[in-house]
Amino acid sequence: MTSTAAPSRKVLSKIACNRLQKELVEWQVNPPAGFKHKVTDNLQRWVIEVNGAPGTLYANEMYQLQVDFPEHYPMEAPQVIFVPPAPLHPHIYSNGHICLDILYDSWSPAMTVSSICISILSMLSSSTVKQRPADNDRYVKNCRNGRSPKETRWWFHDDKV
Amino acid sequence: MGNKLGRRRQVVDEKFTRPQGLYQHKDVDHKKLKKLILDSKLAPCFPGDEDCAFDLEECPICFLYYPSLNRSRCCMKGICTECFLQMKTPNSTRPTQCPFCKTLNYAVEYRGVKTKEEKGKEQIEEQRVIEAKIRMRRQELQDEEERMQRRQEISSSSRNMAPGEVEDTTVAEGDEIVSSQEPFPSRRQSVRLRQNRDDDFDLDLEDIMVMEAIWLSIQENGRQRNPTYGDSVPSEQYLTEDQHVSPAMPPVAESSSSPSGGLACAIAALAERQQTGGGSSSNHDGNTSTFNMIPGYSRFSNRGEQVTEMYHPSGNSAEDSPELGLEMNRDDGEWGVDHESEAAEVGTSRASSDAAEDAGRDSALPTQHEIEGGFQTVGGSIVPDSFEEQMMLAMAVSLADAQARTSMPGLTWQ
Repeated sequence: MTSTAAPSRKVLSKIACNRLQKELVEWQVNPPAGFKHKVTDNLQRWVIEVNGAPGTLYANEMYQLQVDFPEHYPMEAPQVIFVPPAPLHPHIYSNGHICLDILYDSWSPAMTVSSICISILSMLSSSTVKQRPADNDRYVKNCRNGRSPKETRWWFHDDKV
Repeated sequence: MGNKLGRRRQVVDEKFTRPQGLYQHKDVDHKKLKKLILDSKLAPCFPGDEDCAFDLEECPICFLYYPSLNRSRCCMKGICTECFLQMKTPNSTRPTQCPFCKTLNYAVEYRGVKTKEEKGKEQIEEQRVIEAKIRMRRQELQDEEERMQRRQEISSSSRNMAPGEVEDTTVAEGDEIVSSQEPFPSRRQSVRLRQNRDDDFDLDLEDIMVMEAIWLSIQENGRQRNPTYGDSVPSEQYLTEDQHVSPAMPPVAESSSSPSGGLACAIAALAERQQTGGGSSSNHDGNTSTFNMIPGYSRFSNRGEQVTEMYHPSGNSAEDSPELGLEMNRDDGEWGVDHESEAAEVGTSRASSDAAEDAGRDSALPTQHEIEGGFQTVGGSIVPDSFEEQMMLAMAVSLADAQARTSMPGLTWQ
């Protein structure tokens, strides 16, 4: 699975480890609605089930997010992708890469996995059409050698969806 | 004031004047850092605690607990010194953004251990966030109401515009807005907040106050309106109205004196009125509603304003005091990441407090629309499901009550 390789296989720093453990505890106490963390012993890669919100185009659909944390999380953003098959959405590529600013340029260490999940669900929920981004094929072809979405130079132009 | 502790030169242990190794810091000027910590301009680099103990604050970045944190000047969020040092992106031409509110030119100040006042202020701040959410929701409702009204004006012939429908869509929209516009940085806290408070706080106090204001103003209205009514309107036109309005009124008149127990009477009266009113009421309805609504609006909203103001005193003082705190601390403990002009920072703090005041002022507005909503919703359904609907019902009835009073003279004139 080359396309899902973590951006940095370096082990988590102490602070990243500590923070993730606390985030996980917080998640268990108070998980974001519509999400389920799949239990593994790997703190550096979280797999999270997403359920489409009722009343939206993705109602009753289930997808999986894969979140890989870099050594210097949270100073550096985690890599978040959908495990294919990814939902049909104008900002989600068929290889699972998500065009969402907070995952890249607008990341802030004050955000958490939980807040990312809420943003992604909100992005899904506000979609009005189920379709791939216009440049899907070209982009996916460019990523074939396992490029991380964090290396993509994203253009964030649509603030509606 | 709140900075007493920060100003007093605390004796900081030498070993807390340098990073404790939370991060591998690059480009840190250790001499400068030490000086700033000794001058109480930055929080000492205490080793972060894993667990929450009494009176420790959690740094929202590293999730460790500290005796005291720095505060961002823009949004007052806490951050430990070592995390703060990480926020500066070396060799970046872009000014650093606040990690919490994204304000440019992120800068922090240190005020020592949080005082009781500051903790109190924080609570007030939270309260204000909740109030802002309520206002947002109200605004949404109001907009929707206006849209409905416009639509109604266009097709004025059809009076029954499914009040249930209006309710649902507006409420749903309000919900969406509240959740989607929630600022991300404080998610971790605000999510909790939302679950605990959002739902409870939606109506309660403010709406009850508004209700009361309406009761009062209706009572007043009823008294005041008599003469104008008699003067300006030819009485014969209202003969029919009196006949089918007045029978329903007596119980209602009582209910207005005891607002708490009035609902049952209200429903009964409404039901009765709907039956008696029947078909003939269509044109008379139009009359009365315009008659009641237009003078009523301004009166109600004025009243509402007074009451909300009374209810807000704590909020008001809060609006003033944080700014005061800022002023006091201006030259206190500031260490900007990008040493920017004071002017810019003054600007931002001013702006935010202005906004808060504005918001405070705006809070009077929704009352008007609430009443409006009351009018429109009542027409159709008699069975109230929610507290909101019940209130609307009650309002409608009290209006009818006012109407009854105004029509009493008509009766005697007959």
